Formats: sequence, C-alpha cells, structure tokens
Amino acid sequence: MSARPITTVKTVVTGIEEAGAGIKLFTLADPDRWELPPFKPGAHIDLHLPNGLVRTYSLCNEPADDTRYVIAVKREADGRGGSRALHDDVGVGGVIGASLPRGGLEPQARIARYVFLAGGIGVTPFLSMARHLERTRQADFTLHLIVREEVPLAAHLGSLVEQGRIVVHRTSRSGRPDLAALVGECGSETMVACCGPESMIDDFERLTAAWPAARVHIERFVAPPPVIDPDAKPFTLSLVRSGTEIHVRAGQTMLAALQEGGIDIATSCCGGICGACKVGWIEGKPVHRDRILSPYERERYLMVCVAGSDAERLVLDL
Amino acid sequence: MLDTISASPAQSAAQLGWTGVVRFLHLAPRAFLPMRAAETVTLVAGKGIEGDRYMIGKEEGFYSHKPEEGRQVTLFELETLVALKRDAGIELGPEEHRRNVTVEGVPLNHFVGRRFWLGETLLEATRLSVPCRHIEEITGKAIFDPLINRSGLNCKILQGGIVRVGDTVRNAA
Repeated sequence: MSARPITTVKTVVTGIEEAGAGIKLFTLADPDRWELPPFKPGAHIDLHLPNGLVRTYSLCNEPADDTRYVIAVKREADGRGGSRALHDDVGVGGVIGASLPRGGLEPQARIARYVFLAGGIGVTPFLSMARHLERTRQADFTLHLIVREEVPLAAHLGSLVEQGRIVVHRTSRSGRPDLAALVGECGSETMVACCGPESMIDDFERLTAAWPAARVHIERFVAPPPVIDPDAKPFTLSLVRSGTEIHVRAGQTMLAALQEGGIDIATSCCGGICGACKVGWIEGKPVHRDRILSPYERERYLMVCVAGSDAERLVLDL
Repeated sequence: MLDTISASPAQSAAQLGWTGVVRFLHLAPRAFLPMRAAETVTLVAGKGIEGDRYMIGKEEGFYSHKPEEGRQVTLFELETLVALKRDAGIELGPEEHRRNVTVEGVPLNHFVGRRFWLGETLLEATRLSVPCRHIEEITGKAIFDPLINRSGLNCKILQGGIVRVGDTVRNAA
C-alpha cells in the first residue's frame, strides 16, 4: 500500500540529448513503456523535480507518439532553478513525476491554415503541432522562427526547414521581421499562434486584437506580473469536501490563504498561465484573471493563484 | 415497512433468470495511465488482477493509499455507456470509465453483498462504485453527475482464474 496518494504520472528519463544552444532534450517514459496519458499538439506538463520545484514544459513530440513525453529545456543560469536542476542533477534512469498534460491546440476541422510565430526556444510547443499537421495533412501551416543567429533544436527542424514549412528569420543578419506581415490578414480559415519573449507576445497581441479569440492562440513561458487590485476586499472560501472555511485577506491571493490554512495545492507558474492549480468552484462570483481557461471552463473552474471573488463567500470543490 | 419491500433471496433481481456476458476487459499498471484492452485477464483470489494497479501487494493506483478489499476487480455496465450517450450526449468508451470489466446484461446495482460467477472466477460484490473527479480529470469529460448511482461495482475475488471477453456472467445461487 502507498502511504501517500499518488498525484503524478510516474516517468523515467530514458534519454538525454544535447540539442545545441544550451538546450537538452529529455525523453520521459513509463517504467514499462506503457502508453502515457494522451495530449493535444502543443500541450505542456508540470515536472515535479527532485529538488522539490515544479516546472512547466511544452511537449515537443506529437500525440501519436504516445509512449514518450519529449521536452526541450534551455539551461537558464539566472532562471528560477528548474532548468538548472534538470541539466545538472537529472540523468538517464532518474524518476520524475509529471502532471497530466494540459493545454495545446485541438486541430479544428474548419481551420485550413495555421501560422505559428516562435521566438527562440518558444519553438517547442509548435514542434508538436507541426509534426502532427505534417503527418495528418489536416491543414497547411507555416512556422516562422525568429532567432538571433543559432537555430534551437536544429537537428529536429532540418527537414521542415528544407520543405519550407519552417522559415527562419535571423535578426543578426536581417533585423527583426515585420510581425504584421508574417501574421497576415485575418482570414476565416486561418489560425495564428505565438510563443516567445514577452515583448514579442505583446506585439502579437496588438496585431491580432481584432481577430476572433478562437483563432488566436498564445503560449506563455513566463507568467505576466500579478495584477494588484487596490479595491480588493476580504472574502471567505468555503471548502465543501473538507468542510473548512478559509479567510482571504484583502489583497491576499486565494492560493496563499489556502496554503496558510494547510491545504495542499499543486502550483507551478503562480501567474494564471500554466493551469496547475485549477480548482472547481460551486457557488459565488469568482473574478478569474487567468489567461488560459475558456468561457465554458470558467463556469466550473478557476485558478487559485490569480482568481479573486466579487462576493463575500466563494464555495470551492476542495 | 421495510420488511414488505425488501426482496427475499428467491425474488431478488439478482436471482431472477438472467445471464450476462463480458464485453471488454481493461487494466493499467499505474495511476493516470490509459487503460489497455485485453482479451483475457488473470484474477488472483484475494489479491486482484495480474498487472493491474490495484493488485494487493503491488498497489500503484490513485486510491491505493486507501486500501479496500473490494477493489480487487471492478465492473461496469455497458448499458451505462449507452445511457450516457442517449441521456447526456456524452461519448464514453469502455477504456475510459477505468473499471476492469465491462459487462452486458448484468444488473450490477443489485449485487452488493452477493456472489456471482465471472467466467470461471467467483466474485463477491462489496459495494457500488462511486464516480470521482479523478475520472473527469483524466477524460476531460463532465461525467461525474451522470454516473451517480451507475458507476459500477467493486468486488473481491473468492476464486481466481482466467476471464475472457465473451465469458458468461451468472448468479452463484
């Protein structure tokens, strides 16, 4: 019998590949090579690292490749510690807990063409999508990859570059490309998506502000800074399953209040973009503030790291 | 008044004339992993299914921290999958409900506390399964509410053996 509940998918590191530019590709698999929980193209997982950190990474392989999770990790010497832990402390044979995959793009029947804009290592979520679309031939796509000079994961992108499906823009040679020209006009059968540095995503958001929301997709690696609401009021969380009430002070996050109350919540980005802390709500008026839940999902779920309450009492499925 | 409405053994639905059939068999070695279909599974008396996550002594299931004798093998009605589509418009496959055995023609809800034959194996039902949010998390489908009161049956294995797709399910009177 396990002493504690199993909360993650057990994976073993079966391969580590140097992929240039300070990037390593890690392949994770079930200990018996059983099929892993399925995912959508471009989905991400949280890894529960040996040092206790929980970090989110995009899956690079495609959904049909269902016995592996492949992630590309660039070592960020000044980052928050996740990439250093993976690069420096994790070897082949190491056991890592993973969350169920989240997010990604569900290929839609009515979309005939995808335009992906990636900055540097931001190419990773689109690799999965590109491979999926290349195999299924479900829709046309172009991936614009903007790099300073060196192409990340070059060995894995080569054939798609040769086919013209990936267009590399080197800013060291030709300056920054005109994003507006790459995004193009809003077409009824076109979907655009972007992943890269914050400034690039900001530009992309401005360019696509008039597009229907369902045809624009943004993948963020870094959570935007938290919004401080000067008019925030205290409220009470009522937890139906544990029969507990938790008081949230004015300006305090729901997550902090729950953790103070001894409630164990999985977290990762703490900025409303990764989805790790998704919790069901039953009654009340949540203020969402996250960047990933759809309107339909918001009728049932919220992200406790950024959500607030517009009523004195909010009932959660905890 | 309960005396007048409680079924006597001879009159209960579980003992009226019926036979059912095993339609699908599924197992998974660890929590969260997709259930894999099998043509046969091996039931071990007092333990569980060989290779499954709830086999006693090798537990790696989502609920393994809460030991339960009746989790050795779990059953589900094919009719519930049909009802989910008919009543709630939800397509749920037999690999998605995460019970081991999908049967057809077996009134599972009547079997709590009773014994029945699953192929050559003898089971005793301990309690009704209940739906859980875990299944919603894995499937991404809102099936918690529609599965209340029809989420299958938990059983312990009194006599082990091999169960095959197509095996007969019958009462052990």
